[in-house]
Amino acid sequence: MAKWGMVIDLDKCTGCQACTTACSMENNTLPGENWQDVLYYHEGEYPSAQMKWLPRPCMQCEEPSCVHVCPTRATYKDDEAGGIVFIDWNKCIGCKYCMIACPYGVRFYADEQPLVEPDLKAAFPGEDGQLWSPPYQGPQEDWSRGIGIQPKGVVSKCTFCHHKVSQAPAGTPDLDEDDPDLKEYVPACVRTCPPKARYFGDLDNPESNVNKLIGNKRGVRLKDETGNRPQVYYLGAGANIPAFQRRQRS
Amino acid sequence: MTDNNVMKGSAGTGLLVLSLLVMVAGFGYAAMNMAAHGHAAFNTDANVAWGQPISTYLYFALASSGLGLLAAVPLVFKVKEYYPVAKRCIFLAFIILISGMAVLAMELGHTFRMIWALPFGMQVQSAMFWMGVLYALDLLFLLWKFQRMEGRDWDSKTTLQIGIASFLGVLLASGNLALIFGMMSMRPFWFDPSLPIYFYLTGIASGMAALVFYTYLAYGFDRGKMPAALRQLMEGGLPKLFVTLLGITFLFIMVRMITGLYANAPEINLVWSDYILASPVYHISLWGGILLPFLLLLSPTLRVQPAVQVACAVLVFGGLFAERYFFVVGGQVIPLFKGTWAWDISQYAPSATEWSLTFMGAAMIFVLYVLGEKMFNLSDSPADTPSGASQPAGAKATA
Amino acid sequence: MTDVLNAKFTRRRFLQASGATGAAAAGTAGIGKLVGFSAAGASSREARAASRGQTTVTKNICAQCPARCGIDVYTTNGRVHAIYGDTGNPIANGKLCPKGHLGTYFLYDPDRFKGPMKRTNPSKGRNEDPGFVPISWDEALNTVAERINRLRENGEAHRFAHFYGRGWGSSDAGLYGDFGKLIGTPNSAIGHASMCAEGSKRAKAATDGNNSYNSYDYANTNYILNFGASFLEAFRPYNYLMQMWGHMRSKSPMTRTTAVDVRMNPTLAAADRAVMVKPGTDGAMALAIAHVILVEELWNKDFVGDFRDGRNRFRTGQRVPAGSFDEKWTYGLVEWWNAELKDRTPEWAEGVCGVSADQITAVAREFGTTRPAMAIMERGPTAHTNGVYNGMAIHALNALSGCMYAEGGLFYQMGPSYGGLPANSDDYMDNISREMQGRHPRIDMAGTDRWPMSGHMMQETAKNHNAGDPYKLDTAMFFYTNPIWTAPDTAEWEKMMAEIFVIDTSPFPGETAMFADLILPDHTYLERLQDSPTYPFEGWPMAALRVPAVDPIYDTKHFGDTLIEIGKRINGPIGDFYRELDNVENCLRHRAAGFSDDPGDNGVRDFETWKEKGVWYRKPYHWKQHRGVFYEWDGDGYNKVMTEEEVGEKLLKTGSGKFEFKSSFLEGNAGYITGELGVSRNRVGYPQWLEPRHTGGDRPLHFITPKVPMTAEGRSGNIPHAIAQMQPMVGGNQTTFLEIHPQTARARGIRDGDRVKITSDLGSIYAYARYMPSNRPDAIVLPYEHGHWAQGRWATAQERSVNPGNPSDITANISDPISGLACYYTGKVDLERA
Repeated sequence: MAKWGMVIDLDKCTGCQACTTACSMENNTLPGENWQDVLYYHEGEYPSAQMKWLPRPCMQCEEPSCVHVCPTRATYKDDEAGGIVFIDWNKCIGCKYCMIACPYGVRFYADEQPLVEPDLKAAFPGEDGQLWSPPYQGPQEDWSRGIGIQPKGVVSKCTFCHHKVSQAPAGTPDLDEDDPDLKEYVPACVRTCPPKARYFGDLDNPESNVNKLIGNKRGVRLKDETGNRPQVYYLGAGANIPAFQRRQRS
Repeated sequence: MTDNNVMKGSAGTGLLVLSLLVMVAGFGYAAMNMAAHGHAAFNTDANVAWGQPISTYLYFALASSGLGLLAAVPLVFKVKEYYPVAKRCIFLAFIILISGMAVLAMELGHTFRMIWALPFGMQVQSAMFWMGVLYALDLLFLLWKFQRMEGRDWDSKTTLQIGIASFLGVLLASGNLALIFGMMSMRPFWFDPSLPIYFYLTGIASGMAALVFYTYLAYGFDRGKMPAALRQLMEGGLPKLFVTLLGITFLFIMVRMITGLYANAPEINLVWSDYILASPVYHISLWGGILLPFLLLLSPTLRVQPAVQVACAVLVFGGLFAERYFFVVGGQVIPLFKGTWAWDISQYAPSATEWSLTFMGAAMIFVLYVLGEKMFNLSDSPADTPSGASQPAGAKATA
Repeated sequence: MTDVLNAKFTRRRFLQASGATGAAAAGTAGIGKLVGFSAAGASSREARAASRGQTTVTKNICAQCPARCGIDVYTTNGRVHAIYGDTGNPIANGKLCPKGHLGTYFLYDPDRFKGPMKRTNPSKGRNEDPGFVPISWDEALNTVAERINRLRENGEAHRFAHFYGRGWGSSDAGLYGDFGKLIGTPNSAIGHASMCAEGSKRAKAATDGNNSYNSYDYANTNYILNFGASFLEAFRPYNYLMQMWGHMRSKSPMTRTTAVDVRMNPTLAAADRAVMVKPGTDGAMALAIAHVILVEELWNKDFVGDFRDGRNRFRTGQRVPAGSFDEKWTYGLVEWWNAELKDRTPEWAEGVCGVSADQITAVAREFGTTRPAMAIMERGPTAHTNGVYNGMAIHALNALSGCMYAEGGLFYQMGPSYGGLPANSDDYMDNISREMQGRHPRIDMAGTDRWPMSGHMMQETAKNHNAGDPYKLDTAMFFYTNPIWTAPDTAEWEKMMAEIFVIDTSPFPGETAMFADLILPDHTYLERLQDSPTYPFEGWPMAALRVPAVDPIYDTKHFGDTLIEIGKRINGPIGDFYRELDNVENCLRHRAAGFSDDPGDNGVRDFETWKEKGVWYRKPYHWKQHRGVFYEWDGDGYNKVMTEEEVGEKLLKTGSGKFEFKSSFLEGNAGYITGELGVSRNRVGYPQWLEPRHTGGDRPLHFITPKVPMTAEGRSGNIPHAIAQMQPMVGGNQTTFLEIHPQTARARGIRDGDRVKITSDLGSIYAYARYMPSNRPDAIVLPYEHGHWAQGRWATAQERSVNPGNPSDITANISDPISGLACYYTGKVDLERA
């Protein structure tokens, strides 16, 4: 079985958020519950200020701290599915310990006050266990892997678009959206990325393009010191997370 | 045996009705809001996922553990002077833990699912799993122990073994509870291998405050009505232990604070400098709820006075409740990896629903407490202790 | 501002009215569709799984910006649930920008109008509930036709006006010309171009003779000098630009970029060199770059030519003798140097635009020594009173670098091979049509001696109507435009719209609808059959097609069909013309017939294949300049060398047939320019520095209102996911903040998060402040999206309709006299704590 990995080239990324909206529509997440997001950071001052951005999916860690803390094994790493970390919505008790334990902040409870009002959960009330039921929801659903619209009281997260990726022919080294035969199997964020800053492929296959990119362009993993060992690699300048600092408020 | 326990009378019934009303109202209000809005009735979000219901649970669970540990003083370590509070300790530990769990049950996304998912999951890597196991055991041992006491079995080998098991259970449960936070290396404010010690000590302080308060409450805040041995304890060893515990608690908080303020890491430093110490509530709680009672009880003349003791217990309630709150929330207020979306330190204040759960839990303690005082003789102690023979001083006045 | 606050309540009632009427309308006309819509929610998870049908993919074009990206629309069980870029579409290439994916919201927006409605409340205002009641399409169309028939009979056909913003193609805005000619109004239609980006078009008309946006060969360029084109935010086609960005930044050699703008943005942040100029002074920097290029002999001699003796005589401050320079494809270089450029040193420019002379010199050397190198621009530098001159100075750099029509350079878009319509409108004119021809000027006075060089002046309309000069309008019909919110000085528009009969065709509630007498709701773009020739792109011709993904879910009508149906109801032969057109599909079938002689590269040769592929295109571009020689495509290659005459006729369409540094176009309007701008008559033709006239007088701060990636043709204010990603630069995910440099804020006692008041000559709006230390201290920035007071439930919640307010409310109506482009970014304002 492949070990799916993502490579994000920050020298090409334009910070546009297409990955974010593609993900939110593909996976029907609520506004702000961004399984995939692009985070902006600033430093310095006019006329020499820098602004940078960092796209952030779930890192699908090799040593996922979220999996370790889950008391019910609702969240699990599925090596049979390429090492994707899933949440079984039939088992999740909504204790949110995984949200505490994830160093990357990529887990979402969603059963929260809305970021954008009026609440979409009220505009499109949930039917049949769904937290909300928009008219445009995708046809895919697999609660045992946290795919579909989440029910109340559980945590959700990026699935590397398992419902797409899992349909790819076995042994495919790279899921390249430019290949018309493969595009439907490519995770939404990778498929849509206009500057092609994202790549998706098999980390276990030394011939895969993702491994070549990681090798040639000195790929790094974010917050490597946590020991979580992400399956997402970053290339290019700015592949770090600036320390939190307070902003000037007056 | 003469019993001056006012909880057995109409005062107790009044308190029972009152606390029952508060409990039902708290539960009803929370349940109504949560039915209407789901967990959106809480002010928690992706940054601060654990809010006041969790800190309330933590507060209660640690108070319970503290009471369990206090009970071990006579029951395991055979400091016979403490026999008069042993049974009340065990009972209070039980009901406070139950109340804490009730609050937690209202906080979880799927409480009933937990009942089967936890044992079936057998996720031994998770401290949360062990919390379930150990607190279930803790409850079990407390219940068993209490049942033994009800049977007036204070000294048999079995009861001693249950006591030791219960003591170990409490240590493991609360120690593990500490590790739920203390093992989170991605949350530097919490990450601390010595956190169990901190939880034990502050938990005992919390339990001690509960013990003092509820013991006095049982006798209408009139120490004269207490059985002699109990009275002696309340005049002698117990306040000394109370002040010692408060001193150690204060010391521990200071150590954490100094370490935190010294550290460069913003996830620790800024939590202390810009969140905890920036909060007037925290200052009131720390100086008024921990240091002040410590100083009051330090005085040999003041610490024996019932009013001072009760006042200190109440102050410590507030002080340690805030301590738990700032501990839980403080570990989350520095946004992890959110860029500009989190413009500054996260803002969290409990919603009315979250407050109602805290009130529900507190009221539940009173309800169960009054019921316990009415149904059981919580001041009971082995016959061979001095208290068994003597008459309470104020018995004549109230008989 | 109290009016705006009060509007919240009224707005809610308005929405209730529109919702209720929608349901009622469905009762008469669209019930089947509505039932289908509401019943599709599965009753159980199992049922949901069981009922999962085949997923179909239809071709469409995104409608959220001008780019026209081809999209694949995924529909299962009659529900659209995903949108991805169309791999077969040359703009999209399978990709989308962040807006594109949110298209399903347009379709399923619960605030949509659900059928035609008429107003019952005769009073109009922001706080007036229109009191809409549902009517049938027949009644609605008859109402419009009767008004037009009456106006025509009274000799007042000119008092009927169409207004449009985003016209897509022959099936909608393409019908306006015939409509106006037949009914006899010069006002069919007033386009929004003068509120968009006319400045760059006119700058190009003035220099290379093409009144058009450019096509660009980004894939092969090695240097981009970008003046105020928001390449990584809003410049079109945004999606394609980002694809090109990925290519340019990873090809060998990597394309280097210098970005010049007035505020921090992703384009600046990602550039190799970020330059922040004082607003409106880009032209000064461009002139100084040209100066350095000439002095340091870095111009492209193949294209521009050289001194006769090969010795460079361009020396700072010194005149060059006439006749010493042999120009090849340019005209007027020496005159330009002598009249303007010789003194435009980097040191001089530093004093004007605030960018250090060293920096300007470094940019000039990079630009001058890298080939191919292009200078691009858009609205930023041209939305000032000196806009065309700024634009000419920038575009002149493309002549100096020789990139016009060259590989890695700029050129112009070719049109598609369309067939004709089923009928020729000339054959259906009646007496009134003929009598009215040329009798009245347009209401906006575009093309008259008031705005001689402008094709459209929409922003002048309300002012002119209110003054009754040249006349008063009677009826106005709006398509994809909302000037009552977007035009400068919105108060004038509210006054006009309250007086006239207003017809809105938007599928959504909005400010125009609040003042409308009649609502004739269009389909959303996922429900439309609509053609769309490309915007300037890679040059070769292309025309995409929208194919409905689902049947219309409400009782709405394609705007093109609405026009045709109105036409059928006009008395006399005009009605016959529209009966010949019949409907949009028929028109498009006739258009597609043109493909049979010129099949697309993807095999599209008729209407059916067009629907299937979603796009017709035919490569290559027909012309190429290489080392100073122009070639034409002969079917096999660029083999035919073009004569000077051919170049002048087809490519450099100026008076001289050359790229003009001395513009014959402007010199032809010298009197007007001298009068309006005070440029002396003998200098009007040169790209030159002209001080911008900022509105707001002595007010200290430039007010900048940029478009952000999420700005979706004015609709993202009501799209929850767009709101949540609107302003990532400063964390604006519930509203948009006013970005202020902390120093500027502190001087006014403004703290981060404070509500602030922005005041111009016209009045004040409010916003919440965020500190942004990377911006210029003399410029405050408020992204242009929120402040909509009637767009729907999300647009008005969480104070989004009032904090921030609508920037147009305080934008003075001043335009560049040459291009007519409204100067949105030239206003100066005061700022204080509210």
